Amino acid sequence: MSAEAGPYPGPDWMERYRSRVNADRELGIIGRWFTATFMLTFGENRHAVKVVEGRIAEIVAAPRFDVRATFGFRAPVEVWAKFLSPNPPPLYHDFFAMLMRVPAFVLEGDSLAAMQNARALHRMMNIMRETGAPDA
Amino acid sequence: MPDFEPIAGRYLTVAIDGVDHRIFLEEAGQGLPLLCLHTAGADSRQYRHLLNDAWVTERFRVIAFDMPWHGRSNPPDDWWLTRYRLTTAGYLATIRAVWQALGLDRPVVLGCSMGGAIVLKVAADYQDELTGIVGLESAAYAPGRYNELLHHPAIHGGELCASYTYGLNAPTSPEASRRENWWYYSQSGPGVYQGDVHYYSLDWDAREDIKTIDTARCRVALLTGEYDYSCTPEQTEQAAAAIPGASLTIMKGMGHFPMIENYRDFRPYLLEALKQML
Repeated sequence: MSAEAGPYPGPDWMERYRSRVNADRELGIIGRWFTATFMLTFGENRHAVKVVEGRIAEIVAAPRFDVRATFGFRAPVEVWAKFLSPNPPPLYHDFFAMLMRVPAFVLEGDSLAAMQNARALHRMMNIMRETGAPDA
Repeated sequence: MPDFEPIAGRYLTVAIDGVDHRIFLEEAGQGLPLLCLHTAGADSRQYRHLLNDAWVTERFRVIAFDMPWHGRSNPPDDWWLTRYRLTTAGYLATIRAVWQALGLDRPVVLGCSMGGAIVLKVAADYQDELTGIVGLESAAYAPGRYNELLHHPAIHGGELCASYTYGLNAPTSPEASRRENWWYYSQSGPGVYQGDVHYYSLDWDAREDIKTIDTARCRVALLTGEYDYSCTPEQTEQAAAAIPGASLTIMKGMGHFPMIENYRDFRPYLLEALKQML
């Protein structure tokens, strides 16, 4: 996570994440209605995740304002690093846990749209953890 | 021979605050009555491992019932004219009504989450008629779970409630068991989980009541999982500190639903607590 290592979590990790989501058997079953663009913000580092029917069609790094997002998750890098660690500490092991107990982890934008997709979104966020720690 | 489990399910009509309710309960075993209370928006299926545990059923008559509105218990008449909101008083009256209808003599009352909360009030109010309480994930005060989106016509409530509670399991608990609890949660009626957490988050406050519990009369065992973020270990520690003589156990690698998310690892903790009741 040093400055020399580049922006967290880095393009290689984002690509691994996208591949993993798109190969996920469960999302293949439950993802049909999840079509939305949401933002993942790691500190100052933003990514727009464009989801079409439960698959990630594209991840736009550092999007400009012409990339529209419905909702997003934002937290400091140190919070994401705990979430993505192999053995996350209690309160950092699930995005709903962080929404309740970690004030720096926030859901931005249209929370109704996020919760309409709660099942597939929750699976997609858990796949972030299954992708492994970015520094590994 | 069919491969039956030793659990038997039955229906019972019981008056709660003067209103008849058709209640489903399941039981197994013989011995000291052990009345089990499920979590918010769930039902007695969460206790299937405990009800199937021979060590337990050789010593206890284990009874788990579905709260009104939950599982196979009906809501009362005119439910469609009612916004379901559990209250501390109503919850206590329900437990007392089932307890009396079954004629349970000096039972142990065991509850988890909202059930782990209310057992503290059961102990405070009825300590001379109890053997003890086992509180799983017990807090005397637990704000923060209530959310307006839990019951919303544009959201699939079953999927939201099940996903909202899924992370309350420890990440290390077996996936099949965590998913089983997800499935139970997906099946509650519209607004039922929200009505339960309305009690748990907004009505429940027993911080003064618990100071009256005398553990010489009513034994108290409190067990909480380290990954529980609804009732954190710190919240249970605060409750235990207000009850001299209560036993406190923080369960490593466990979340908010020990009896269903990981019974194998929960069992040694449970048996230690139950031995305190014998």
